[in-house]
Amino acid sequence: MKMTDPKDDMLDDLFAEARALSPQPSDALVARVLADARPPERAITSVQTGIFTRLLDVIGGWPAAGGLVAATLAGVWIGVAPPASVEDFTATLLGDQVAVGFFDTDIAFDMETLADG
Amino acid sequence: MIAAVAGDGLLSPANCTFGVTALAKQQMNTMPDPTAGVSDAALLVAFARGDAQAARDLTARLLPRVLAQATRMLTNQAEAEDVAQEAMIRLWKIAPDWQQGHAQVSTWLYRVVANLCTDRLRKRRGSVSLDQIAEPEDSTPNAATRIQTQTRLRALSDALAQLPERQAEAVALRHLEGLSNPEIAQIMDISVRSVESLTARGKRALVDILAGRKAELGYEDD
Repeated sequence: MKMTDPKDDMLDDLFAEARALSPQPSDALVARVLADARPPERAITSVQTGIFTRLLDVIGGWPAAGGLVAATLAGVWIGVAPPASVEDFTATLLGDQVAVGFFDTDIAFDMETLADG
Repeated sequence: MIAAVAGDGLLSPANCTFGVTALAKQQMNTMPDPTAGVSDAALLVAFARGDAQAARDLTARLLPRVLAQATRMLTNQAEAEDVAQEAMIRLWKIAPDWQQGHAQVSTWLYRVVANLCTDRLRKRRGSVSLDQIAEPEDSTPNAATRIQTQTRLRALSDALAQLPERQAEAVALRHLEGLSNPEIAQIMDISVRSVESLTARGKRALVDILAGRKAELGYEDD
């Protein structure tokens, strides 16, 4: 749109005056800006990686570590309270079920004999 | 913010060059640049990897333009320096996430500075304007002319503060930075037609706002 209004001419003059501003950063401002220019934390942490982080990287990161923990817990649980299917499978594989007692059954028998007189 | 517009917040002759200076010339660094040919994005990535020299190179290359943009919008040295510093802080922070090829650093900085300036202008609404504050003493030659120039530029900045933020940003990028409409569209992430609409409405609004100050600003009525 052609600006013919004198007030628009004034505005164009103001724009031109503003465009002519070319401030140079003072030494103080440059110093402030450079003081803010610290290396990003991510760059620092990537250099200072610990043993734990490197181990994690070896096994494949947090998802892999989570899988390992879950598998370990499942193994412990199956060992403590094995489901029936597992017991049947081990019986088939290893033979009949074997009962293990902490006390000799003969001792209990002798005690009964003693009690009966 | 009264403190920000008074006293040393004013643009001083020592820090500003008033004259006919081509925009392209303003944006050039007159110092020899050993990193000429290296893109801003490449320097930013180098900084993210811990290269301190890259930070110095980026500062030398970008800070003058960032400060100039803020000064033209705010017409206040202290505020412009604060905005320039804040914009550079944001640049340092985004460095690790910067993806080369996605956007130009200069485009990103134009947007950041424009946003920071409109935030400042919004806070300025309703505060004491320059003409309500005693002018600082200035006994140097052409002091009257300089003060008149500062008054006019401050009037323009205060008028920008009255515009809706998107209009103020578009007008400033178009008429203070001299950018093309497609460039502004990229910076503001809008269509070229939207840019045209914003700048036209913004300019008309500025004309209305400044109409009553014509004689005060040294423009005689016809």
